[in-house]
Amino acid sequence: MELRKVKFEVLRFRPEQDTDPVFETYEVECMEDWVVLDALNAIKDDVDPTLSHRWSCRMGVCGSCGMLVNGRPVLTCAAFVRNYEGTIRVEPLSNFPIVRDLVVELDGFIEKIKSVKPWIIRKIEKDLSEGEYRQSPEQLEEFKQFSMCINCALCYAACPVLANEPEFVGPAAIALAHRYNLDSRDEGNAERFEVLDSHDGVYACSFANECSQVCPKHVDPAMAIQQAKLTDFLEWARIMPKRSFT
Amino acid sequence: MSAHAATAPKTRTAEPRPPAGFPFGFYRYRNYVVFAATSVFMALGCVGLIEALYALAHGEEAWKAFLANMARPHNLVLSVVVLLFTLYFVFRFAWVGRKIAAGRIGPVPRPPLPMPILGVAPIGGFVTFWLILLAILAGVLP
Repeated sequence: MELRKVKFEVLRFRPEQDTDPVFETYEVECMEDWVVLDALNAIKDDVDPTLSHRWSCRMGVCGSCGMLVNGRPVLTCAAFVRNYEGTIRVEPLSNFPIVRDLVVELDGFIEKIKSVKPWIIRKIEKDLSEGEYRQSPEQLEEFKQFSMCINCALCYAACPVLANEPEFVGPAAIALAHRYNLDSRDEGNAERFEVLDSHDGVYACSFANECSQVCPKHVDPAMAIQQAKLTDFLEWARIMPKRSFT
Repeated sequence: MSAHAATAPKTRTAEPRPPAGFPFGFYRYRNYVVFAATSVFMALGCVGLIEALYALAHGEEAWKAFLANMARPHNLVLSVVVLLFTLYFVFRFAWVGRKIAAGRIGPVPRPPLPMPILGVAPIGGFVTFWLILLAILAGVLP
């Protein structure tokens, strides 16, 4: 198979020695069918074993290998080297603190996801003996698109709102909240409302739409957020009179 | 304490970097920033509209004075700029705004209208309203 020598500029940050992140350049012999992740693995295996990056499934499912390639947030396992010309610049996801090299701190992201309670909430749980909660294909179709999120955090890296307001709950978390709010089996709207209606909730989004542009699973978080604004407003209208008189 | 603050990194980390090309280096961010900036010019348009209504409420003299003021060159230029930003807002909103249509509102499913009608009707009405208003303010329509 034909080999092509490709130059990679990789952002390095070694907390024990670097004050700030710096770029390092590597030349790699790439095969025609390589993705950027293959090249990073080749660098780690053969050139510089100290390079740190996350990856797992290599097939666009686990969402671990999200990075900036030439400035755009992508899954590196799905970014073919042959599609880039000249030097390829690889950086960690923007809007996240950098732990080491291409590895970013995701704790805040995970906490935001957890904060919207992304699980089915029932006011009264059915007994197991009563069987499962049934759902028609039409009911499934209402939220299926929003359930395709793989938590790769590319949408957070692309979001200009998060660059200015780091506490914004963010696209993936809101899309997930909306997914459960649309689920016919769920009764947790009111519980999620507290987060979605907060200062850092849905209204912090100013609809740049960039999250949907970079989403590798076509979840369209921007759509979820705009729809969530409407449902949040209706929930507010439903509960405000009760709050005002109690 | 917010989720973000509660999970402050335990080891020394490098500061988060802003998205590449934000705010003006990448065309999609640039479009977004211009879209956000339209609010300033549309607010100016609203001030003009309030002024027009105020003049209307205070008789013919006030209305004529308002029209004369609006016909001054710098106000004409400002009106054109406001119109351009408003049109940009409308077209971008038509592009991304279709996403606002909710799948369902409470128990009520979205009506099975084709998307072009959902998008074109309010946007078309909005543009028509502004064009008529501008024509009236410019004295083209009585």
